[in-house]
Amino acid sequence: MTTLLAASLATLVFCAPGYPGGAGDAQPLVDDFAHAAIAAAGWPPGSLAAVYDPTEEGGLEKLRSADAVLAFVPYPFYVEHAARLHLTPLVQADVADIGVQQRWTLVAKAGRVSDPASMAGYTILSVAGYAPDFVRHNALDGWALPADVKIEPTGQVLSALRRVSTGEPVAALLDQAQTAALPSLPFAKELNTVRQSPQLPVALIVVVDSRVAAGRARALQAGLLKMGHAPGSTDTLGALRLRGFVLPTLPSPAAAR
Amino acid sequence: MAALAAAIEADAQRSDHEPDSRVRRELAAEASADADACLAHEPQAAACLYGRAIALGLNARAHPTRANELLNGMLDALTRAESADSGYDEAGPARVRALVLLRAPGWPLGPGDAEAGLAAARRAVLLRPLYPPNLLALAEALAKTGDVRGAAEIYARARQAALALPASADREEWLREADQGLAHSGQR
Repeated sequence: MTTLLAASLATLVFCAPGYPGGAGDAQPLVDDFAHAAIAAAGWPPGSLAAVYDPTEEGGLEKLRSADAVLAFVPYPFYVEHAARLHLTPLVQADVADIGVQQRWTLVAKAGRVSDPASMAGYTILSVAGYAPDFVRHNALDGWALPADVKIEPTGQVLSALRRVSTGEPVAALLDQAQTAALPSLPFAKELNTVRQSPQLPVALIVVVDSRVAAGRARALQAGLLKMGHAPGSTDTLGALRLRGFVLPTLPSPAAAR
Repeated sequence: MAALAAAIEADAQRSDHEPDSRVRRELAAEASADADACLAHEPQAAACLYGRAIALGLNARAHPTRANELLNGMLDALTRAESADSGYDEAGPARVRALVLLRAPGWPLGPGDAEAGLAAARRAVLLRPLYPPNLLALAEALAKTGDVRGAAEIYARARQAALALPASADREEWLREADQGLAHSGQR
């Protein structure tokens, strides 16, 4: 009975700060994902709920709850919170049109930034701006930012790039999809790529604070790895812009710094 | 034409409060058929172009994997509707354009663009300054572009404008939205 009760309380928290999508619109999609995942893992029907939160604070609040046993998070969120929340990677997402890894690109006004020192007084705007450790030590690995550089989150990347193009002391850190779309902007020639990150994971499903027993976690991992290859799961994954999952391959701490 | 436009509006209102995704897909299909019929009679009429835009919006919600393409079509239809009659539905083409630009996924995933949304909301208010939904759209645009104080002022104006109208379900909805906006900006 206790086992059944514990199983029914398990929740997978989807948290994607800076990316579009309201909780209401996303909920049916994450519900479908939870059903497909437990079917693939052989967990009892109804034993995993899912919930979506588009904000960092909201996601953290949900992860504090004891029923939050798993989380689907972008890699910057993982870097920022893994140690404090005891997040253990289970699988790495294979994202449609991106893959399992991506590079982040620092963009500044053409001719303004030549080295880290020339960024003194700048503000870096990014969808990953909520994760300053990720920005400083992963995305801008080997590019020692001056101490007065501010790092701020934004969901308005187009507005940020307009500010960069007009010569404000602002740079934008873009993910791979944003970088690929840069040439389509009418003011693209005003922008310059300053720095590119090494290949980094895009997103992970993690176990929160060892709240899933090892055997159940292994079954879920095996199930998730099958998704994307099994008929029927591709639609569920496609609605979340996913192709499937692979075993996690994280940069070593030394490489990340 | 008026009957078809009204039917599309009714589908939109039902869809807003419909939790079942299957029913939302049916309402979107119904609205699309009505928009097609309207445009077959009057291809350049603001009512039909506006109805087409609303129908595309319902489809974008019902079919999230095609949302980007559908929202771009919606913006095209709104541009044409605004050219045909900018005052239609109390400056509806500019107001709805503002809401799409404010709420859609932003570049590069979708057509969302808060600054362009602000410009559209300003146009709607210029055309119909006392219509509460136009003021609510402008307040939302100001909040989204970082002008919290400006947003609070406009939410207060929207509230006053709504209170000046006879009691109705719409008025209650506008008042609730204005109050939420004021609460969010720390003014209530």
